[in-house]
Amino acid sequence: MKIIVCLKQVPHQDARLDIRSDGAWIQEEGIKFEINTYDTYALEEALRIKDAAEAEVVVVSIGPDRVTQALRTALGMGADRAIHVKDPEAEASDAIGLAKILAAIVKAESPDLVIMGMMSDDGNFAAIAPMLAGLTDMPHTTAAVKVERSNGTLRIDREIEGGAREVVELRSPCVIAVQTGINQVRYASLKGIMAAKKKPFDVKSIADLGLGGQVGAAAVKVRIEKISPPVKGERAEILEGSTQEIADRLVGKIKELGLL
Amino acid sequence: MGSILIVAEVQKGAIREASFEVATFAQKVAGATGRDVKSLVAGKGIGALAEEFAKRGGGEVFAADHELLEHYSVDTLGVAVRAAIEASGADVILFSNTPSGWDIAPRVAAELDAGFVSDCFSIEVEEGKIVYHRRVFNGKLDARLTISSEKAVATVQPGATAAFEGATDGSVSQLELSLSADDLRVRFVETKIAESKGVDLTKANVIVAGGRGVGAPEKFQEVLKPLVDALGGAMGASRPVVDAGWLPHEYQVGSSGQVVQPKLYIACGISGAIQHLVGMKTSNFIIAINKDPDAPIFEVADLGVVADLLEIVPALTSAVQAAKG
Repeated sequence: MKIIVCLKQVPHQDARLDIRSDGAWIQEEGIKFEINTYDTYALEEALRIKDAAEAEVVVVSIGPDRVTQALRTALGMGADRAIHVKDPEAEASDAIGLAKILAAIVKAESPDLVIMGMMSDDGNFAAIAPMLAGLTDMPHTTAAVKVERSNGTLRIDREIEGGAREVVELRSPCVIAVQTGINQVRYASLKGIMAAKKKPFDVKSIADLGLGGQVGAAAVKVRIEKISPPVKGERAEILEGSTQEIADRLVGKIKELGLL
Repeated sequence: MGSILIVAEVQKGAIREASFEVATFAQKVAGATGRDVKSLVAGKGIGALAEEFAKRGGGEVFAADHELLEHYSVDTLGVAVRAAIEASGADVILFSNTPSGWDIAPRVAAELDAGFVSDCFSIEVEEGKIVYHRRVFNGKLDARLTISSEKAVATVQPGATAAFEGATDGSVSQLELSLSADDLRVRFVETKIAESKGVDLTKANVIVAGGRGVGAPEKFQEVLKPLVDALGGAMGASRPVVDAGWLPHEYQVGSSGQVVQPKLYIACGISGAIQHLVGMKTSNFIIAINKDPDAPIFEVADLGVVADLLEIVPALTSAVQAAKG
């Protein structure tokens, strides 16, 4: 069995988000990046399938040089092979463009399962998995919080509203987008990191994938015109002073509310 | 000009409130761009609902009534959506960002080779162009987007606007679909109701909730629990805490946990992702303690403290204990 895990590298959750001079995205120079939280759970889920059965886990990521580190980490955790799509045109793509790039890889690799996080911590679009499934004519599901396999059928618990779950079944090959919290994600061991250095690592361009002209800046359909701090609502009154003064004022308020 | 197609959602025998909210944006954009509003109402035995939606914002409604549309499946609903797009000639297709909407909408966009924008909190018309507003970076920044493809697909955040209140005089026509169980590549098995293991946060007067900023699982017991006890309240948590296994799911406040409305909500080390805010923002009074002055939680809080919760919370606990005498 072959599993493709799609990983995105995103700004670290605690990174400073300064808006770039053209206003259309954040300043990415000089900040720390990490594997998208949702995708770490997808990778772990794939590695658990590999632990339980014979499976090859192929990790795929699109992005600049820095993405190498994310893929190396994934190999260190136990993935078998990495594909890095490195091309300025790839980076300039919108969700549909990225899904077309992944679709080209999926068509070439013919995996039994494609798994990824249901959204990224930066764009929050939650678009890639259903788009990829549509482009490759595979069944898909999203918000998976439990994955069970038997004889080519996957039984998935999807998280729906209010903590309820919807159970669905679909047959392999298929695309699954996972929620966070689905498992406990392992760390790369030192031994794993050493072994990762010898694992196959392919770098591909848009031309290599036969997608010249179909993706990239010229094919973008969705344009982020501007990002900005959220419009301030009625912001909280911020308390200033020493720790003790703040604690006393909070107690005063709690008393006022009739809770003491 | 084309049409705007609303893909309405039926749940528990009624059109979801979220679909009427989509109608609010659809009607506004239609009015400003010379489009008309059309809708799809799909499900089993939905004839009366289609009639209702046609009069309450849906405009001309295409009704898809079929046994295989009773439960959401991307396969059967997909057939209905494709038929409705064709019948309506729509160039803007709107869904709610619900578990079925977020599942199907991007796939529909890919099949149409259309631009896609999710979870919009507003859709406006500015200088004749449709502008989609949504959050990025888990609620920390707002983004303003436009779509340049011939067709556009978007999902709307539930609760982002009021339900459409006006009247429309749409007619209902039936969409004849040939669906068979063989079309179901994703098959609905069952719905499991949330398990409650005795932590009912909805009844608590005071909730002290912790987020990733609490730093470690033991800090919930060491730092937050004494404040919970001093105030006679209950402990809550944000999603990352539950995902990390620091607290069980029954403590989770938010769209995928419990929706609470206590007299006092104290958010400690919670940045305020939208999924969390929808679960607590209607609390009577909110105190937020967070090191990051730009954390979105301060937008919904009444009182804020920009400081390390590991210093503030113990001091607050002592002050509460002292006040009780």
